[in-house]
Amino acid sequence: MDVFLNELSLFAPAVVFNIYFAVASIPLGFVFAVFLALGKASSNPLISRLSRGYIYAFRGSPLFIQFFMVYFLALSFNIGVWRPMGISWFVLHPLFIGPLVLVLNTAAYTAEIFYGALRAVPRGEIEAARAYGMSQSQQFRQVVWPNLIRLAWPAYTNEVVFLFHATAIVYLALPVIGQQKDLMITAKDLFQRDYNAFLHFSVAALYFMAVSMLVFFLFGLVYRRLMRHMPAAPRMRWAPKWLR
Amino acid sequence: MSDDIAFWLSYITNGKHLTWYASFQFTIFAAVVGGALAVVFGLIGATLKNSRFWPLRLIGSTYSATVRGIPDVLFFLFFPLAFEQAVEWVVATQVCSPEAIAAQTAAWPPCREANWLLGTTEYLILASVSLGLVYGAFATNVIHGAMRSVPKGQLEAARAYGMSARQVLWRVHIRQMWVYALPGLSNVWMLIIKATSLLSLLQIADIVLWADRLGAPNFLPAVGLVHDDWRWRYYLVLFVFYIFVTFLSEKGFNAIMRRAGRGILSEAR
Repeated sequence: MDVFLNELSLFAPAVVFNIYFAVASIPLGFVFAVFLALGKASSNPLISRLSRGYIYAFRGSPLFIQFFMVYFLALSFNIGVWRPMGISWFVLHPLFIGPLVLVLNTAAYTAEIFYGALRAVPRGEIEAARAYGMSQSQQFRQVVWPNLIRLAWPAYTNEVVFLFHATAIVYLALPVIGQQKDLMITAKDLFQRDYNAFLHFSVAALYFMAVSMLVFFLFGLVYRRLMRHMPAAPRMRWAPKWLR
Repeated sequence: MSDDIAFWLSYITNGKHLTWYASFQFTIFAAVVGGALAVVFGLIGATLKNSRFWPLRLIGSTYSATVRGIPDVLFFLFFPLAFEQAVEWVVATQVCSPEAIAAQTAAWPPCREANWLLGTTEYLILASVSLGLVYGAFATNVIHGAMRSVPKGQLEAARAYGMSARQVLWRVHIRQMWVYALPGLSNVWMLIIKATSLLSLLQIADIVLWADRLGAPNFLPAVGLVHDDWRWRYYLVLFVFYIFVTFLSEKGFNAIMRRAGRGILSEAR
């Protein structure tokens, strides 16, 4: 038991890095994804093609490869661009590159979800809005957007959990600087010290599951708030109803 | 101009590049075997989840819920190591003498005779099995859902024709299940393809590891690869390769879907 508690405390600083990667990339990815989804649905063929291609490329290739590609691309610009500007300590830092790639990646997946939701917005509601004389931007703000976010929210919750799981490979692809070890690197290091795979990896898994549960809970609260206009789901009945 | 072409031809066909091309077989093997095993584990999981016997149902649901709640990378690292250790432990109980155990100073294995050195082939098989286990959990959910979305009337009709329970299952239920399962299984297949990029974490000299080695800056003329840091170009090639594989699989799945959907009325088409 003591060993287990000690293990939990060893992993506590590590989970902060995973949470940092997720928290840093979710808001940016969300905004980028909205623009990508609108771009994919755009009537302008150039914008539409570009967003389609972007989404296809980033959904069709592994995140692991994307990490390597972006990191080494940044590295090859180092001597020419970053170093003269004096920002190479920042641009090449895993705490910057990590969220950058995660944003690029999650935006593509999220955009696909939002695009699907955008197409599922009821036609009649948009026509009604137009009949009321709403302008384009009013239609989007008052009708399309609320519908879209409500439709997309459950799938978006899954995507956020997957993004959190994806943070596991950040430091497997990027160099570890000093003591900045995330869950996976901590588990690997501890494993190489005493070869106790079952303990170290299951504690790491426990942390991942705990945070995933937390995400599901928080996003569930938001979903309840989004759906507050709908009748509440019937409460579970414990006692039989004798009279109606 | 022709010198350039000759240079590039000899560059991309030198021995190291040929080894790189050969290493694609590892990726393809892991994807195909992992995919096949995922379907097998998915079928087992779905059967367990559908079982009338409560403990079996619990096992099935726990399997699909836990494995999906944990990152695949973690399983991918953990499973081969755990399997190796389990085998070494079993061997150790047989071959180790107490003196050998006492003499062993390292944390693992218990004694030197129990040490099991894994080569690429063994790691590749273990990696495929862990791919199958992880994505089998996803396939479990897909197949479970598909089994339930086969129209009840079809099964009742089959029963009314006097088919036995087994005949209903094999001739009607599972045959029709594929149409509902294929879109989900195609997603699982895409995930497996992407997960094959992680093979290098298990010291398998796969395409990712070779891209890293070949692209690394090299200034020794003896190797024949004198260039600066070209790694991002090699990774760009892999990036395009994976997109191409995704594109091909999409086409393939569309064809299979058309074939599986023959004679079944559907709103989608």
